[in-house]
Amino acid sequence: MTLRHIRIIAAREALAERGQPDGLVSAVTFIATLILVESLAVGPLAASQPAVAAALFWIAMAFAAIIVTSRSFERELEDDALGAVLALPGGRDAIYGGKVVALAALLALVAAVGGGLSLVLLSLDVALPGHLLTVAAAGVLSLPPVMVLFVALALRLRSRGTLVPILVLPVLVPQLVAATNGTAAAMSGDTAGALGWAGLLVAFALVYSVLGLTIVPAALE
Amino acid sequence: MNSTAALRGATVVLGDRAILRDFDLEIHPGVTVVRGGNGAGKTTLLRTLAGLLPLARGTREPATATFYLGESAQLLRGVSARDNLRTLAAFRGVALDGVGPALASWGLSAAQAARPVETLSAGQRRRAALARLDVERASLVLLDEPFAGLDDEAAAHLLRTIRTFAGERRALVIATHSRFELDAGANTVVHLG
Repeated sequence: MTLRHIRIIAAREALAERGQPDGLVSAVTFIATLILVESLAVGPLAASQPAVAAALFWIAMAFAAIIVTSRSFERELEDDALGAVLALPGGRDAIYGGKVVALAALLALVAAVGGGLSLVLLSLDVALPGHLLTVAAAGVLSLPPVMVLFVALALRLRSRGTLVPILVLPVLVPQLVAATNGTAAAMSGDTAGALGWAGLLVAFALVYSVLGLTIVPAALE
Repeated sequence: MNSTAALRGATVVLGDRAILRDFDLEIHPGVTVVRGGNGAGKTTLLRTLAGLLPLARGTREPATATFYLGESAQLLRGVSARDNLRTLAAFRGVALDGVGPALASWGLSAAQAARPVETLSAGQRRRAALARLDVERASLVLLDEPFAGLDDEAAAHLLRTIRTFAGERRALVIATHSRFELDAGANTVVHLG
């Protein structure tokens, strides 16, 4: 596997998403609706608390990540497009890295829309905008390595639509806790807290990337 | 004579059933035809040669560059035929300027090649997939029911391509129910089941 192969798979994913943006559109619609409904459910006062607003945002992001990743692999199974890549020398190894890179970019778009909506709808005050962006970037990076790993493992299972959220959400709890605390810290002006949680998110991303690069090539059929 | 690829004592298990058991096959340059009834293991054999299925036992000696085309066109939806082929060619590190002429030689106009593959007919998608043969130029070509869904013109083009590749001393393994005329020019005809 080379970086060139990963870049080619990521570019292929971007082309597919541009031609058939149903995964991205579903995720953006979903995150916007969920943030709105959640904020109404807990009430505008409670929803504008940093910890609550951050939790609402990252829970919505976790579900959006499931939507985007599942759609990406569903597209691969239609017409067995995945088979063409797996049969290429290095394809089995590159598919994980390429998907992670492409889905991180897609999730960054979803996060931008969801984050913007949260800021506007909930009238949030952000004490450290730069730190908030750092935590958001680290949080976005921490999701695809886990998502792609689990969706790839469940790929040939008929009940994968049900199984993936059941399998992946418990594993994502540490990332959600770190992202929520880091976001809340950035909103309330806690520099050390925000950077500490961001560092932990990057560590999660690295650990799961290594796991995925090790497990997924052997698991994909 | 050195083989292009080989399976030695290969056992492949899908679910709880051994589809191939202690199977030996050496692939040499030229055409190898795989025949057998439904469920005999033709697709399993090709996918095993392509490295897409794990061996429960035995060894696989892979070719230096393998091209595998299954019964599906294996083109990614949302992406044009041209970009699908360019992506796969780029992955192999071969020149991309052959993509347009290859698609044209298989009967796809520039406009058709630029459309997302899901807007093409099944036969056009199949032609686009087969155009990869001309672009990727692998030493081992594995084709699973390659004539399915092709009209007479495309089928004749495929037969010509197969003969050309065999003449270039490349190895082709073709699993098919039809086209018994392939058997006469084949190195080996493998009967499964």
